[in-house]
Amino acid sequence: MRLILEIWRQDRPGADGRYETHEVVDATPEMSLLELLDRLNHQLVENNTDPVAFESDCREGICGTCGVDVNGVPHGPRDNVPACGQHVRDFKDGQTVRFEPFRSKAFPVLRDLIVDRTGLDRIIQAGGTIAVDAGTAPDAETVQVTHDDAERALDFAACIGCGACVSACPNGAAYLFTGSKLAHLALIPHGKQERAKRARAMVDQMEHEFGPCSQIGECALACPAEIPLSAIAVVNRERIRAGFKKGKAN
Amino acid sequence: MSSQFEERSGIDQIPVAKRPATTPPPRPQTWLLKLIMALTGSVLVAFLLFHLAGNLKVYLPDDPRLHFNEYAHWLRGLLNPLVPGETFLWVFRGTLVLCLVLHLYSGLTIKIRAWRARGGRGRAVNVTKHHLVGRTMIWSGGIILAFIIFHLLDLTLGRGVASSKFSSAASYDLPDGTAVTDAYSNLVHSFERPSVAAFYVLVMMVVAFHINHGIWSIINDFGGTAKRTRNVFLFLAAVAALIIVIGNASIPLAVQLGVITL
Repeated sequence: MRLILEIWRQDRPGADGRYETHEVVDATPEMSLLELLDRLNHQLVENNTDPVAFESDCREGICGTCGVDVNGVPHGPRDNVPACGQHVRDFKDGQTVRFEPFRSKAFPVLRDLIVDRTGLDRIIQAGGTIAVDAGTAPDAETVQVTHDDAERALDFAACIGCGACVSACPNGAAYLFTGSKLAHLALIPHGKQERAKRARAMVDQMEHEFGPCSQIGECALACPAEIPLSAIAVVNRERIRAGFKKGKAN
Repeated sequence: MSSQFEERSGIDQIPVAKRPATTPPPRPQTWLLKLIMALTGSVLVAFLLFHLAGNLKVYLPDDPRLHFNEYAHWLRGLLNPLVPGETFLWVFRGTLVLCLVLHLYSGLTIKIRAWRARGGRGRAVNVTKHHLVGRTMIWSGGIILAFIIFHLLDLTLGRGVASSKFSSAASYDLPDGTAVTDAYSNLVHSFERPSVAAFYVLVMMVVAFHINHGIWSIINDFGGTAKRTRNVFLFLAAVAALIIVIGNASIPLAVQLGVITL
């Protein structure tokens, strides 16, 4: 398969970027999009030119490291699949595929397709942790959680923090990310102890760097962890709830 | 990478935490603005549905003119004699204006923040798969605001865009002998103009899209996460939008088709 790749190249943060067009003539349908970029880089290095910088790690959809906008959609054409799980077979022979870094003012481009996603880390640092002394490991079933709560908490804990929701959002909002963390921690016993404090801190930090949510719903289509759209409602639920618990931690 | 690429500074030299985590978020906070939008939007949608109920009196089989004018007169003196004269009318109008102003202010502030947060300058515009309505609420809102001004001039104040036959004089006699404004004739005269009728129909479609996304947003802004509640709101949003567009847009069409006449 022959594919024409239009790739965003940017030397350093704040520098002017540009699109570069390359051709990969020996792409195969079963290649992942990351393997396509690998193939291109191999070609670029062979020609003694600078390879495209992009991030990836596990390449099996569990780490959240890879992330590029492909033809204007985070990760690629298929809904709820990370870039490493998207394949060349979804494109036609001879098609132009545009690779860009994730888009958000909170994600400054570091180089080429790599963006600085530490804005998401700062939301977690603000309160997405459990800071209670849990002591030594308790006996099994000392702290009881219903099966439904455990399952729901795990569904929201599935977020891999890739940032696709932010890039997909026309408003640059991080509601799906923040909501999944808030929902996950509010459902489990140890997390409940700092529930209000956490909501205030995380929402403050989120609003400081990211945009507002307008319920457009692009985020849930992009999310490779299939976090449901109800996570965005969790943000407001937890923050409104915290408003009634002024000064209290839970 | 070898030294031939030295002109590109290394990623390891980039300062990472440029923004300290302690700076306060913008005020008023977005979650609060969204809550205000949901509350004021709910009031405005409720008003729209009551407004529609009154409008539909034009379809009453026997003497719709009497029923419509009687209703318009009753509105002016609502809650009499508990409160005198038009007191309630003005409290009601004041509340609606307040809701509108707060709704506009919150919406604009949110939209400005959204534009600023988008980023990606110099790059192609992102593709969105669905949800055009959600992205264009600010524009549909602007059209609705322009329409409200038009509508007030047309059928309440009778200035500017109103039909030349508009009259606010108490020219219609109710069965009990009270002379009231002939709101029914004003409505028919206004909708007899094809361009005005078309404008009303188009705007009602815009209103339907706006409140469809609006009602769906209400459940998110109030933090409703239960699956069934969210589905109920999705359903209500569609039903309310359909009721508003079918109920209201049919009236200028009916006047144009000669179903509603003086």
